[in-house]
Order: sequence, then structure tokens, then C-alpha cells
Amino acid sequence: MDIDDLLQELDDNKVLGGTRDINDLTQSWIAERTAPEILPFQTALLERLMERIRQQIELVETQTGNLDPKTNFCLILLQTELERVKFLVRGYLRARIHKIDKYSIYILTTPSIRGRLSPPELSYLKSHLGLLNSHFLASFLRRFPEQLRRLDDKAGGISMVEEPDLDGAVFCKVVRDIEDNIARIPGTDSEFKLTKGDVYVVRYSAVREFVLRGEIELI
Amino acid sequence: MYGDLGLKLVQHAKRTQSLPQLPPYQSDIVRSVTREVRDLDRDVTEILEPFNGHFDPAEEPATACSLLVHHLCMRRNKRCLLAYHRVRVEAIEEMCWSGSDLLEQVQASQNKVAEGGAGIGSAEGSGASSLSPEEEEYARQYGDLLAAYKGQWTDIDLTGSLEPPRDLFIDVRVLKDAGEIQTEYGAITLTKNSQFFVRQGDVERLIAQGFLQKLN
Amino acid sequence: MSYYDIDAILTDAQKVPCTFEITIPGLGYLEGNSNIDIKQGTRVELPLWLAEMLGVSQRLGTEQNVISLDLPPALAPRVQNALKANPCTVDLRSLASHYYSLGERILGLLEEDELVDILSETFKKRAAEIADHAHNPQGVISSGGEFLKGLDENERQLFKTAHESAKAIRAFLSDRSSGKK
Repeated sequence: MDIDDLLQELDDNKVLGGTRDINDLTQSWIAERTAPEILPFQTALLERLMERIRQQIELVETQTGNLDPKTNFCLILLQTELERVKFLVRGYLRARIHKIDKYSIYILTTPSIRGRLSPPELSYLKSHLGLLNSHFLASFLRRFPEQLRRLDDKAGGISMVEEPDLDGAVFCKVVRDIEDNIARIPGTDSEFKLTKGDVYVVRYSAVREFVLRGEIELI
Repeated sequence: MYGDLGLKLVQHAKRTQSLPQLPPYQSDIVRSVTREVRDLDRDVTEILEPFNGHFDPAEEPATACSLLVHHLCMRRNKRCLLAYHRVRVEAIEEMCWSGSDLLEQVQASQNKVAEGGAGIGSAEGSGASSLSPEEEEYARQYGDLLAAYKGQWTDIDLTGSLEPPRDLFIDVRVLKDAGEIQTEYGAITLTKNSQFFVRQGDVERLIAQGFLQKLN
Repeated sequence: MSYYDIDAILTDAQKVPCTFEITIPGLGYLEGNSNIDIKQGTRVELPLWLAEMLGVSQRLGTEQNVISLDLPPALAPRVQNALKANPCTVDLRSLASHYYSLGERILGLLEEDELVDILSETFKKRAAEIADHAHNPQGVISSGGEFLKGLDENERQLFKTAHESAKAIRAFLSDRSSGKK
């Protein structure tokens, strides 16, 4: 056993709940930014983090004005950390909104994907589509013949509904031992073995299932 | 030929994508393209009329082809119109997110026109806005929608900077008078050309709006 | 391809020479004469979005094709030869703003095996040249102005991305060496 193993063990076992949440948030933020499709909303994680952020803000507010240099220094550390966590949450939510705007009709009409949104995200999506629809109608569509007013027409050469390109390339890392560890590249005969620690750049569709199960992380 | 005007709109949209500000809405072209669609639709009705609803493409290949071309032209125009409006809508949404006040911008452009001699009062509704009335309405409504969604995340400031934070405190120079702001260390009056060492979170908005400049 | 994508729509607008194989009533406007028929054998340039649908429209139930397609001038043998000789001296932009996309679409309609190789070879050679210009921190090398002006839309994007990422990497490296923040 060398020092790396010892450190690894520390990492695995002794990480405090709060720190683990921050790590998970960082990972979710990275995954959301790299995955072509929207991923399941991290409801429990976000709830815990928002509660912590609220507590910290309160603490900062009650302690401000305390002139003791030691508390003051602690406060600065605390606020710096707060800004960083807020930045991660913001980045995470904004990456999702970006995809929600881009693939709105697809998300809304695909039940399995729609379930990945938080209730506020879903209501944002619906209202946004409603606004777009009435804006297009008011600007020109209302003067169109009835049968040409749809915004979700899939016929006629090119579909109006934009879908994420699941064959887009991602960088990923195998983070767990996987039992059924053969990944297949859809539409080809190629397959490859997934061993913990492996890093790949590969089509998202080949590793999608593993990513959703948390066995592979996007990096 | 049909579709040429639609293409013009898309070329406008292409240019718009690389401009910092929205150019004026092309209401004339939009109207013409829309009219083209209605004309084509009327043609289709006329072509089909003699068949009394019993049109068989296999018996009339030439007519079927003509109908196909009409349909394709209508669809093409629709796509051009939608793409043009979508590019502008995205720019409007972008402004809502970045916090630049749209109505303020509209007013500023109106005032510029007014400076040409007309009185302040006549600037109102002079149509100098680069947004169509529908777009102004959309900007208002999207602003409300965004505010509602943001409201779910009050502690995060969803429209805040997407640059990772480095320093809690930063040096800023005041570019435009911005009045008094409240910080946890008391009130600061931001007068033009003065310099301050402030908490970044307190002034982010003002930097985005161009009141303050961040110094290194 | 996205419905709302501006570049996709502009690609679709590029013209292809077509010959009508049958007479179609009322389509005279396609050659600039309104309200008359378009006669069999008429040659006319149609945008891709129209030519593509008419060129493969056996779906109409007609025995013969409505139109037959030719290579657009931008992809004609003369240009192909120039590209084979030296891909970097051809001004693609003046031939077609979305040159490769046009080629790709045409290849979906016509059998032109050699064109596939010529276009991919052209893209590779030019991409290397583009990278050279984009990575130069002094900005564009003076001799490169002519070449860069002739980039098609895809190549312009490539140049922009390469240029910006090179800049970002330099910023990142100088940031790290000038004191760890």
C-alpha cells in the first residue's frame, strides 16, 4: 500500500457530506454542459445545497459588523466559497435552460425526457413556447392559411422539431466497476470494454445508458 | 421568383447574428413574403377548383407537379419567416438575460432621433425603435417569464455572471453616474470617474449595464 | 440539420441547373415569365430546396422525372481540375458561399465518385493552411489575406474557432506563469 492508496481511501470514505455535495454539483454542472441531451434534474442535491446556501447567507448577515479580525477573515473565506457555489448552481441551471430553449418541443413531447425537468423548468418551457407561438402568430402566422400555422410539423423534407444530436462526441471516464461492461457504438459493429479508470472520447449514444446510471462520468 | 424575398430576410438574419445591436425590423419584406404565401394558397385553391375535390395526381402529373411547387414555395417562405423572427427573438431574450434594459434602449434611440430638432414630446411613438410592436410586447412578456423563473432561485441570481469568480473584492471605475448603492459596508455614491474597491457581487449588475468598469 | 438554422437555409438557396422533362402548366415564373407554362426541355436554374424535391419526385406517381439535374458551375470539371492542381489558390467563396454544403447536397443527388475525393482532399489541405494562419499570434500573415478572403462559410467558422482557441490557450498559459491566482 502506498501513499496514493491511502489518499484514495481517504477520498472514498472520509469526505464530508457537504463536500461530497459540492463535488456532485461540480460533476452535474460539467455533465450538463457536455451532454447533448438534458439530464435528470438533481432535485435532492439542489435542495440540500440551497438550504446550505441560505444558512451561510444568514450567517454572513448576522456576523457582518463584527470587527474582530478573526471573524472578519472567516467571513471573507465564507463569502468567497459562497460565490463559488452560487456560480456552480447558476452555471448548472443556465446550461439546462439553454437546452430547454433549444429542444423545447422535443422535450415537451417526449414523456421520458420531460420527466427530467424540475416543475419550475417545465412551467418555464410551456410558457416560453406559448409566448413564441403567440409572437409568431401576431407577427405573420395569423395571416397564413390554417394548415400552415403549425410549429411542430414533421412532414415536408425537414422536421420543425429540433432534437439533440445523440451521436455528438463526448469525453468520458469510467468511474465504477461495471458488470455488463461492453459498450456498443450504435449503427456499427464496433464495441469496446469499459474498465474503471478508462477515459474515452466517443459518441454520446454509445455510453448514454452508463452515464444515466452514473457508471460513466462526462468530463 | 417565389422565395427570393424570403431569402432576403434570411440574409438579414445572417447579418444580424454578427451585429452587437438589433437592426430595424423589416416589416415591408415580412408583409410581402406573407402576401406571397396567401397568393400561392389562393392559386392552389383555383387549380384544384375544377376537380371538385377528386384530384388524382397519377392522372394529372403536370398539375400535381405545379401543386407541389406551390406547396414547397409556401413552406419555404414559412421557414424563412420563422428563422428571421427566431434570430431576433433570441437576441431579445439575450438582452433580457444580460439585464440591459430594452425599453431604455428603445427610448435612447428615440431620443437620438428627437435631437434632430423635434421636441421631447414628439419623440414618443415616432417609430424609431428597431423592434416591431410585437417584438416589444414579446420582450416585456419574456422579461416577466424570466423574472418568475428567477424568483424560484433568489439566492443564486440566475442572471449573474457566467465567468467563474476569482476575487471577492475588485477595483472598479465609474463610467456613468449611478447614484447611491447599498453594500454591507454601507452606502457608496457612484459618481463618474471615481474609483472604488467593492464586493464583486454588489456591483455585477452595474458592470453588465455599463455603469462601472472592472479594473485589473 | 435544424429547421431554424440560418446557414442551412442559405445552403438551400444555392442554385442548380435543371432541365424540365415535362411541360408544367403555370410554372413559367420559374424562368421569369409569369402565368405561362414551362415547356419540356426548358433549362432553368433552381434553388436546391426546389430542385431536390423535383429531382426525386417519382413520389408524384409520374413515370418520368420532372426535371434532370446538372452539376452547378461551382463544381464543374474546370473547378475540379483547379482544386486538384492546388486547392489553396481557389477562391471558394466567390464560387459558392456554402461551398462544401452545396457539394454534399449535390453528391446526394448525382453520382460523382471522383468529386467526393476531390472535395475531402481540398478540405483537408485547406484546413491545414487555415490552422497555420489562425495560430499565428501576430494576426493574419500578410500573404494570407487573399486566401482567407476566399474561405467558404464552414472554413470561416473553422478559422474563427481555431483563432479563438489559440488565443484562449495563450491567455491560460500566461495566466499560470504570471503568479498562481
